[in-house]
Amino acid sequence: MGKTTYKRLKGSQSFRQRLLLATLSSTPIIIDEIRADDMITGLLRHEMSLLRLFESVSDDCVVEVNETGTRLKYKPGIIMGGKNLVHSCALTRSMGYYLEPLLVLGLFGKKPLSIRLKGVTDDPKDLSVDTVRNATLHILKRFGVPSEGLDLKIEARGVAPEGGGEVLLTVPNVQSLTAVQWVEEGMVKKIRGWTFSARVSSDFEHSMRFAARGVFNNLLPDVHIFNDHKSGPHAGKSPGYGISLVAETTAGCYISADTAVSCGRADETGEIDVERQERKPAEDTGVEIASWLLQEIEKGGVVDSTHQGLLFILCALCQQDVSKVRVGTLSPYGVETLRNLKEFLGVTFSFRPDPSTGTVILTCVGSGLINLSRKLS
Amino acid sequence: MAADDLMSSQKSHRMRKSGPTMRKKSEIDKKKRGVADNKQPNPRAFSVRSVVKAKRLKIRAVEKEQRRIHLPTADRTYGEPPPFVVVVQGPPGVGKSLVIKSLVKHFTHQNVPEVRGPITIVQGKKKRIQFVECPNDINGMIDCAKVADLAILLIDGSYGFEMETFEFLNIMQVHGFPKVMGVLTHLDKFKDVKKLRKTKQRLKHRFWTEIYNGAKLFYLSGLIHGKYSQREVLNLSRFISVIKFHPLSWRTSHPYVLADRLEDVTPPEKVQMDKKCDRNITLYGYLRGCNLKKGMKVHIAGVGDYSLAGVTALPDPCPLPSAAKKKGLRDREKLFYAPMSGIGDLLYDKDAVYININDHLVQYSKTDEENGEPANKGRGKDVGEDLVKSLQNTKYSVDEKLDKTFINLFGKKTSASSERKLEADAQSSPEGSDAESSEESQSDDDVDDHEMDVDSNDGKIKEKTELRGGRLRRKAIFKDEVDDSDEDGDDDDEEAEDAESDGNEDEDGEDESVSDSQDSDEDDVEESEDKVLGNISKWKEPLKEKGRKKNPNLMQIVYGASASSATALINENNEISDDEDFFKPKGEHSKNLGGGLDAGHVNSEDCSKFVNYGNLKNWKEKEVCEDIRDRFTTGDWSKAALRNKNSVAGDEGEDDELYGDFEDLETGEKHNDHENMESGTNEDVEAAERRLKKLALRAKFDAQSDKSELEDEDNDNGDGINPRNSEAKEPGFVDKLKEELEIRKQMNLLELNDLDEDTRIEIEGFRTGTYLRLEIHNVPYEMVDFFDPCHPVLIGGIGFGEDSAGYMQARLKKHRWHKKVLKTRDPIIVSIGWRRYQTIPVYAIEDRNGRHRMLKYTPEHMHCLAMFWGPLVPPNTGFVAFQNLSSNQTGFRITATSVVLEYNHQTHIAKKIKLVGHPCKIKKNTAFIKDMFTSDLEIARFEGSSVRTVSGIRGQVKKAGKNMLDNNAQEGIARCTFEDQIKMSDIVFLRAWTPVEVPQFYNPLTTALQPRDKTWTGMKTFRELRSEHNIPIPVNKDSLYKPIERKTKKFNPLVIPKKLQAELPFASKPKNKPARKRPDLDARRAVVMEPEERKAHAVVQHYKLISKVKTNKKKAKEQEKRKAYEAEKAKKEVVSKKRNREERRERYRTEDKQKKKMRRGQD
Repeated sequence: MGKTTYKRLKGSQSFRQRLLLATLSSTPIIIDEIRADDMITGLLRHEMSLLRLFESVSDDCVVEVNETGTRLKYKPGIIMGGKNLVHSCALTRSMGYYLEPLLVLGLFGKKPLSIRLKGVTDDPKDLSVDTVRNATLHILKRFGVPSEGLDLKIEARGVAPEGGGEVLLTVPNVQSLTAVQWVEEGMVKKIRGWTFSARVSSDFEHSMRFAARGVFNNLLPDVHIFNDHKSGPHAGKSPGYGISLVAETTAGCYISADTAVSCGRADETGEIDVERQERKPAEDTGVEIASWLLQEIEKGGVVDSTHQGLLFILCALCQQDVSKVRVGTLSPYGVETLRNLKEFLGVTFSFRPDPSTGTVILTCVGSGLINLSRKLS
Repeated sequence: MAADDLMSSQKSHRMRKSGPTMRKKSEIDKKKRGVADNKQPNPRAFSVRSVVKAKRLKIRAVEKEQRRIHLPTADRTYGEPPPFVVVVQGPPGVGKSLVIKSLVKHFTHQNVPEVRGPITIVQGKKKRIQFVECPNDINGMIDCAKVADLAILLIDGSYGFEMETFEFLNIMQVHGFPKVMGVLTHLDKFKDVKKLRKTKQRLKHRFWTEIYNGAKLFYLSGLIHGKYSQREVLNLSRFISVIKFHPLSWRTSHPYVLADRLEDVTPPEKVQMDKKCDRNITLYGYLRGCNLKKGMKVHIAGVGDYSLAGVTALPDPCPLPSAAKKKGLRDREKLFYAPMSGIGDLLYDKDAVYININDHLVQYSKTDEENGEPANKGRGKDVGEDLVKSLQNTKYSVDEKLDKTFINLFGKKTSASSERKLEADAQSSPEGSDAESSEESQSDDDVDDHEMDVDSNDGKIKEKTELRGGRLRRKAIFKDEVDDSDEDGDDDDEEAEDAESDGNEDEDGEDESVSDSQDSDEDDVEESEDKVLGNISKWKEPLKEKGRKKNPNLMQIVYGASASSATALINENNEISDDEDFFKPKGEHSKNLGGGLDAGHVNSEDCSKFVNYGNLKNWKEKEVCEDIRDRFTTGDWSKAALRNKNSVAGDEGEDDELYGDFEDLETGEKHNDHENMESGTNEDVEAAERRLKKLALRAKFDAQSDKSELEDEDNDNGDGINPRNSEAKEPGFVDKLKEELEIRKQMNLLELNDLDEDTRIEIEGFRTGTYLRLEIHNVPYEMVDFFDPCHPVLIGGIGFGEDSAGYMQARLKKHRWHKKVLKTRDPIIVSIGWRRYQTIPVYAIEDRNGRHRMLKYTPEHMHCLAMFWGPLVPPNTGFVAFQNLSSNQTGFRITATSVVLEYNHQTHIAKKIKLVGHPCKIKKNTAFIKDMFTSDLEIARFEGSSVRTVSGIRGQVKKAGKNMLDNNAQEGIARCTFEDQIKMSDIVFLRAWTPVEVPQFYNPLTTALQPRDKTWTGMKTFRELRSEHNIPIPVNKDSLYKPIERKTKKFNPLVIPKKLQAELPFASKPKNKPARKRPDLDARRAVVMEPEERKAHAVVQHYKLISKVKTNKKKAKEQEKRKAYEAEKAKKEVVSKKRNREERRERYRTEDKQKKKMRRGQD
């Protein structure tokens, strides 16, 4: 028992999931060759920040990173949860990056989690906080997570590069998740949207809204897009605007699409963003996201492609019952998730493509993970 | 005939249906049947008098009802249940093996010479039992208690209860309480019937207090010809067979195997090189608890944690009979499997069948040759016999022979447990796929025949083979078909292909596609189809696969690629952009790989979004929108509904599309189902739902009827609650829960049955009830060397996080029968989960404010907390603690029972600490305290904390008092302020709490790695060490109690100041009179009376005398009078008593007469 055997992994791919699944299954891991050959070697800032977040949420976890940051040794502790936690996220990625693993992690803690995250709330790479609030949390509820205590409060917006946003996430504890039979997509009955603008004119929002609504004209009358203009301390430190659209179906599925545009992106991140420099007009962004939403709807499935990973993880964490979900085309992230799940939890999915709709039905037996850290009253 | 006619002509007897006769008769009838009369003699007397009382009664009734209800647990065992484990336990010499032998004899009509290891028997059409004899040492008892479904506790009736019984009961109680049945033996030692009855009664009641009132206790009255009487064994077996087992929470969440066979499969060369090398072993047994997945880690009790190197499902060695409708079991179905007892002559392995030929049989054939006079003349010579004989008188080594005969007679595996065993390695077909074996038999027909003949020579073996109804074929193994330990589960389909498509890399994938298309159900129809196709289908299969390879399986893409071809994908990419790559910085490389399913690059970005705005359609156009119109509520609802249906129904249809050339009989049936469904759009959802519900309801009904039956039985045993009533009263909530669980189960079954066997195992793991072969590598050699079949080998699966160690907090109570309290940091041995290990606990108790205060000793009759370090188990797991495992201990070995509350990586136990200091300088209320702290830094840590003197003056630590003692600038002097000035002689205390560390000590019990009769020794307690090394217990002199000597207090005289004295009023002034030597004048003077005075005095004295005499006389007179009166009274009393008696007698007589008269009048 004195010697711990580590699971050896390579590369920085699916870093979040590896950490998450390692923690949930309490498997110590060693990740080697993290960007060993890249320009910027080793762990990036957001990854370090994520590690720190895991440390703050759990108890007695051991993180060792070598000097170059190319090798990580992680020995998970017990997920504690707790109130009044504060974490300032690295500004290289937005809050969605941290929220995705944190939501699942919080469920299996000793105490309900209530954490304040500070940093960038929206960026084009990750889920925007609006989407998390309005779509992701609904997915969790499907798996038997109680709705009281499950909340995301957006207290301040913050756009890259400076950030300054703040959200308050509360996640309740569960004993275990219940398996779902979620194959019915239903029909889209309403579309809701949330736009925001921080430190820029609210005109951006209006033009996005109009453009987005225009796309849905042919299809659905029940479209409502709320705006959220922030100024002063609630607007963060950088100017920007963004949009998040969520389509709700009759069967209770939430399909989402979102993006954010930062008006003041500095050049410090280097050449990666050179082509992003010439910004599209706000109308185009609106149309783009609306079209993307429709594309997601066309693909089918009970969740959009972005949430596939989360859905699979939740399915795999369920009790030892059969879960059955339908998704559209498997996204690369989803596939990666499936592989990780097999590696860490030993959960294999079976696939049944449905060529008539272009969707895939996935079936799995949950790993039967129960929240072990909860205290016996 | 005539008589018959006559009979028919006669009127049949008609029972009275009303009237007094009927009433009377029914009354008598009821009395006969022992049905109590429900009618109360005075119903009004028990009507509601007080509303409050009635309410209370009702509440109580409801509460009782609720207490009976348990939260329904999900039953996730599908298919045939594994045999139930019946553990027979008892102190040594009580007749355990005899009970097992007689039970086995009763069930199977077989004699077991020796009970070693589990014995599996088929007991009924749907039930199998595995008998395990519990060894006499405590380790074996623990392991047995963990696997027992039913424990039969044997008690020597002539001796009474022994500690082992209670120890075993306690162990069981902690690890989930299985069913328990007591059996009293040795009752023939009683000569006196009355004494026997008394003893039975006494033992029964003692047994009941330990378990529950009405627990079954059996009596085996005695031995007849060294056996228990058949009738009693029959009764016992009936009770065993009707017992219903309920799931226990730890066991339903962990897979476990009770091995009934162990083989050492280490390559013999390796063993020869080094006798003490680590061994590879295989363990065989039924899987119990929950499903076992391939990658799971297991704990072998008494050995340690291992990961499974290979898991294979083997054909059931003791299968249940076919489900044909008939009553009871036929003789040939009364199967029996006990490989460790040396009974089963055939042993099945993944790739071989071992035939065990008894010594005398081997001998027999040899002599036969020598004599030239075969005993079995009548049968004539057998080919198989020839083969065996030729094998026996070999001149060449086996290897040489092998070259000639091309039959591989000795596989790579050797068995360690059975020394004399002729091994004929032959490949069995576990799944019973006949087609395959038929193909093989074609290839080497004659050889196979030989093998069969060998079998049929021996009567017993023949029986065994027949049991399998011809489904079993064996094949001689070829040298190149060495088993692959990697491909554990992928079975024989693959092996067949192995031979054909050797070295094909994509084989795995192909297999999967094949397996996908096939259906899991082993329908007879399917099998027959296979038979028809026979060899043709087999050899064509690879071709088909190749044809089908164009549409790859999603499962293969997702899982297959990740394992092997991550590098391949990268290479591919490199080829494409080789040139550009050269000029690009390294970081750019990852960006190219951003999209596509082949995100196999190790450093790809971690991003859940996969956005490609480039190929967005122009959704503003109406035509484009039309495509997805039906996905919106504004579209066509029926079409949209159809979309959902299609996929549900079309699962099979799509299969057909993809793999059209495969005809599945299973799907045909499914199609029928779905055709019905497709008729309507909305209806079929409901229909499916309804069907599910119906299934659920039926299952529930079955379960309930079973339960009510059980309850009926319970009631018959004297419980007294009417089951019908309680059933009706069961609240809807529980019903609903049960129904939900049942629906869930049916859905699971539906989904899982849709999958083919391989995928199902992949997804679900091996189902409970399958007979498994577990291969485990690198086990210490001692396990094989000291293997004792009498001790159960328990292999338990380890859940997530249960292999990592941490601190656990448990609620512990010292066992009331253990004589001593437990001491903190004395090592104890705990049995927790599957494990047994030694650990060092720290006991604590929770204070009011939530602080965990360390205790030096456990409280006597109270729970306390125990913190210890060890491999984690989920909260709510019970455990039992021991201090000594030796069998020759007289007392009760269980020291404590406990339950885990939570686990942590930190401990929060604190103990009191008192820092003591002395003032070195006092300035009014401020004092400088020395000796309390060692440094100024330490003082800084304690600033503001409160201190106290012995006399009770409170104070506070302020700061380090620097340079206060000018001459010696000492460190660690604290400036404190007090509420009053303290004295130099005062002692100052600072009371604080210091955290206590729990030692990280964990020592697994390796009892299986040593001779079983040796007691395992671990870390010793302080006491043991002291007594061993003859070290006295250290004594702190200050802690000793000495006789208290109190000096008599001497008080000084009160001194009042002169000034005050002067001011006092005279009354309060101290009147100081100097002590006199002589009494003063008043006391000294004599009194002389005057003559008149003297006269008066004399007169008074006279009068006094007279009155005194008078009163004396009066008193005497009164006394006399009283005496006379008393005598009179006594006389009178005697008379009156006499009269009273006479009177009463008279009265009674008359009353009696009257009564008699009345009675006569009534009659």
